[in-house]
Amino acid sequence: MKTTLILGATLIFLASTSQAQHHHNMHDMHSHEGHMHEQMVDGKALEVDVERFDNFVSDIPGDKIAVVSVQGMVCDFCARGIEKSFGKNNQISKIDVDLASGKVLLGFQSDAEIDQAYIEKQILNNGLNTTAIQVLGD
Amino acid sequence: MGGHTLMAYSNAQADKIYWHYTPNIKYSLGIDYQEDKITEQSFASARFTYLLHRKNTATSQRNLYLKSGVGLNDSDNHFYGLAGDWETRRLFVGFSAQQQSGQGYDLFEQTFKLGVAPYLGDYGDLHTWLMIETKKNDFDDRRTTYPVLRLFKGGALVEIGYHKKTDWDVHLMYRF
Repeated sequence: MKTTLILGATLIFLASTSQAQHHHNMHDMHSHEGHMHEQMVDGKALEVDVERFDNFVSDIPGDKIAVVSVQGMVCDFCARGIEKSFGKNNQISKIDVDLASGKVLLGFQSDAEIDQAYIEKQILNNGLNTTAIQVLGD
Repeated sequence: MGGHTLMAYSNAQADKIYWHYTPNIKYSLGIDYQEDKITEQSFASARFTYLLHRKNTATSQRNLYLKSGVGLNDSDNHFYGLAGDWETRRLFVGFSAQQQSGQGYDLFEQTFKLGVAPYLGDYGDLHTWLMIETKKNDFDDRRTTYPVLRLFKGGALVEIGYHKKTDWDVHLMYRF
């Protein structure tokens, strides 16, 4: 009886450990798969508002993403100008301007070549300055 | 960039409608039409605005502009001046100094404006600014100071100030 109890307890412990490990693995998969914001670009983590970024990429799977850090973007007029400039490019599938973080997210079609000089020029044409561009999916 | 801006002003001195086109960030060209309430004259002017200086940082933008205009029918009607601002998403500081001549009088006017945004909206939200403007010109030796409410959404801006002596000061702007 005692041996049966010990064996049963051992089986339950092993089963629960296995379940926990499986759950942990699932958690890891949730954390790292499909969450582009955790990718590194040139050895640097993406500097983005995680929730905003995940929401941005959710409906453009497979597209390349450019995260542009912009100086001087303090009001809606700046944001509208940027949206208008990039909106003319038919290779850009989605645009998001985040005034709070000073970031512009650009979704490019998967076959598009991302020209960083072009991005910087559009920002400059709006009277603003680019300090960094991080590209995912290139 | 290539953008159009339509503005309307109304204060104790004049009612104005002003349109300008901005081919690039350095300058804009436009036309205004104004009805002067002091002389009851109406006239149109060509206007030129030049960006002398801009400094962008991660959280702010600072600008200095040269502004000028000349009457289309009578070049005696003209003005020139400087205007500047420094702005973050939370704070605004602006000034202007302008010399106006023609239509029977000369006028030098200085303004200074301080503003604070009580909340920080995201792009596309309604933005609200609570401001204080102070104005001094040749008509009155005393400085006039009054509260201004600025509402700003998308390409539209409405600014309303009130002082018991100078009455309403209204500014509408739409960018497209």
